[in-house]
Amino acid sequence: MMSRAIPESLKKAFDREVASLHGRVPGVIGCVIATVDGRLVSSVVDNEADPQRVSAMAGSMVALGETIGREVKIGRSQFVVVSALGGILLLQRVPAERELLVVGTLARNNTNLGILLHETRGTASTIGRELDEWLAANLKG
Amino acid sequence: MSREIKLVFAGSMGAGKTTAIRSISEIEPILTDVANTDRAEFDKTDTTVALDYGELTLGIGEKLRLYGTPGQVRFDFMWSIMAEGALGVVVLIDNSRPDPIADLLKYLGAFRELADAGAAIVAVGRMDTHPRPTLDDFATALDQLGLLVPVMPADVRRRQDVLDVLEVLFQQIEATEEHAEAVDDWLGFVRAAAPRGGS
Repeated sequence: MMSRAIPESLKKAFDREVASLHGRVPGVIGCVIATVDGRLVSSVVDNEADPQRVSAMAGSMVALGETIGREVKIGRSQFVVVSALGGILLLQRVPAERELLVVGTLARNNTNLGILLHETRGTASTIGRELDEWLAANLKG
Repeated sequence: MSREIKLVFAGSMGAGKTTAIRSISEIEPILTDVANTDRAEFDKTDTTVALDYGELTLGIGEKLRLYGTPGQVRFDFMWSIMAEGALGVVVLIDNSRPDPIADLLKYLGAFRELADAGAAIVAVGRMDTHPRPTLDDFATALDQLGLLVPVMPADVRRRQDVLDVLEVLFQQIEATEEHAEAVDDWLGFVRAAAPRGGS
């Protein structure tokens, strides 16, 4: 039956970006890349959160945010934030020619949301560029 | 290499989607249950509002990712979200409801793409207390839609019943895939994905 193994070269590139975000932004305790249908692609998580389970929900959360955005006539959702007593989870799509991936960043609750947004967006853009390059090289015809 | 397969459980409120996933999941399921304020629709205390999620590893190195949808039609926006990337759908029918055939048409219609691809199965519950409509009645309704979808009875509280349903679904999918053109799986996913801003 069909499954979707992501190419190893892409997986390694994504692992690097996830580790980079985790390492360079103080307060970030995790980063997860998942497919839009909820499969784990890459992750670094410091706390007990299970990346597989987070991935299963991340794509749905992003899609639900977009659905609600359309419903209330405010246009396309840019990101979804879960602000909890113990931390922040920021979820957004990876901007690429094909909507394949979402990225989630988990941070301590004293983390500046603006910085978190900026850095997550930067990581998502880098991942998107890497994905687009792969698509351009491998998706001819 | 291990493979992961996404399956969706659909059906009316109270049909047993959460129960089915709980019956076979090897992890503690993710549930999004809240208090049910619509006791006239179905008399139970809680209802799913976003999704249920569980996992089951098969002996052949495949991991099933099990998604349960909210049953009420007002949550139909979640059905299409859940269907994304799914290999198959199990439509659960509660035969004690007023019009189970209408439920069949509604929920199978919502996953018509999977049904057309031979990746759907219908499992009918509470047939012991509510024998009608019969399995033949369901088969006739499916035939009129031009759909080749297996129908079988199931008590989703019983793990073996749910596993039997999945086994028949996989047989159906494999039989269909044997005729499909072999494609690289990742490439297939990429090609099927929506273009930028398209969803």
